Amino acid sequence: MADRKNFESIAMPHLDAVYRAAVALCRRENEAEDLVQLTYAKALEQFGSFAPGTSVKAWLLQILRNAWIDELRHRRVVGTVVSIEENGAAVADPPHVEEAAWENSAAVLENFADDEVRRALGELPSDQRLTLFLVDVEGMSQEEVAAITGVAAGTVKSRTSRARAVLRGKLMAHAKDLGLLGRGR
Amino acid sequence: MSHLTEEQFEDVVQGRTPAPAHVAECPACRDRVAEARAVRARLQASFASVHAGAGLADRLRRATVAEPRRTAKFLRLPRLAWAMAAAAAILVVAIPTVLYLTTPSAAAAAQRELVRIHTGNLSAQHDVLTGADPAQVAAYLKAQLGFDLATPRLGQGMAMRGCCVAHFKGQAVGSYVVQTPRGPISVIVVPQAPKDLGLTETFEAGGRTFWGGAFADNCIVATRLGGFTYCAVGEPAHDVLCEILLALGLGEQS
Repeated sequence: MADRKNFESIAMPHLDAVYRAAVALCRRENEAEDLVQLTYAKALEQFGSFAPGTSVKAWLLQILRNAWIDELRHRRVVGTVVSIEENGAAVADPPHVEEAAWENSAAVLENFADDEVRRALGELPSDQRLTLFLVDVEGMSQEEVAAITGVAAGTVKSRTSRARAVLRGKLMAHAKDLGLLGRGR
Repeated sequence: MSHLTEEQFEDVVQGRTPAPAHVAECPACRDRVAEARAVRARLQASFASVHAGAGLADRLRRATVAEPRRTAKFLRLPRLAWAMAAAAAILVVAIPTVLYLTTPSAAAAAQRELVRIHTGNLSAQHDVLTGADPAQVAAYLKAQLGFDLATPRLGQGMAMRGCCVAHFKGQAVGSYVVQTPRGPISVIVVPQAPKDLGLTETFEAGGRTFWGGAFADNCIVATRLGGFTYCAVGEPAHDVLCEILLALGLGEQS
């Protein structure tokens, strides 16, 4: 019982962060809730192995990431490819809308709805998506993200850079579709 | 004049290091950093309104955090009565307590797994699943699992979206997704009996017995057929899932 109370006291304060990460991965809120529920169930099971003094948030996010990967790998869909391996596989180059910097980027981005931005993030491969989310939205250090995603800190940096470029390309393409790009120049 | 390397650029955008003097002098690098910071800020803002709902927090507390209830009245028994009461207590208190403490978690785990398979079916790739041929699905599942599963009778607004082989309690099991007028459901076929899945609520419909349960926002209704348990999992309510199973012909004897 003490363990359960202790678990509640340390794990529940991070529910929002875990949920946000689940939304970033799943894209759909009902799926995100299921993933969070699974994450907390697994975390409770593994609570005995949690090292006091280390980051609870990072520990929970690592469990979330592993649960998500398990989820993807547990299924094979008939007749064709399920992009389970999108996580580590080669990724298409970001769309090269234009190489020059996007001069009025802040103003154009203000025209996007929140879910449009999250949808663009959701189009990134899972590990790029999670890495960029953890670095930019949660403000976690490269070392923390490396521990969560199971890669070297240098890989986090290159993956963040790559993800940022892909996201930029997708947002620019979307802005072009909306006829926003180039305004105000 | 050399531009920022990718590594320097990331450090500057993330605020890990101050921008070098070059950034102020080079319009290309300055604009690039400004743009990346704008995207970063917009991404942060897009999640500012994302919070776990109170319902989710409540479910988590109930499912994983809340302490199981227990009774301790027997501790107040007189000392002399203690020994006499002990044997009875083992039967009356300990066994039900053990059942109470273990069965719900096992049931929750089984139902959680079923819902996990269902949500995974939906999230896998919608486009990939759409329009699957029932005959192809049946042949695929037989090839993968080594035995025939009952295939649903479609029509009435219901269409097969596809199938997959998932893992349930360490075993490969078949499942398929059916688009119904009430939304997509998964039919997951497992060898375990309904009671072993913690499905204790029973329903009678169409002359058949169905067992029900729930996890998160999903309902589960199961029926036995040909030595297997066919579990319908989805957001529709229990009675609707019963109707869907019957309409699919999965509530009938093979």
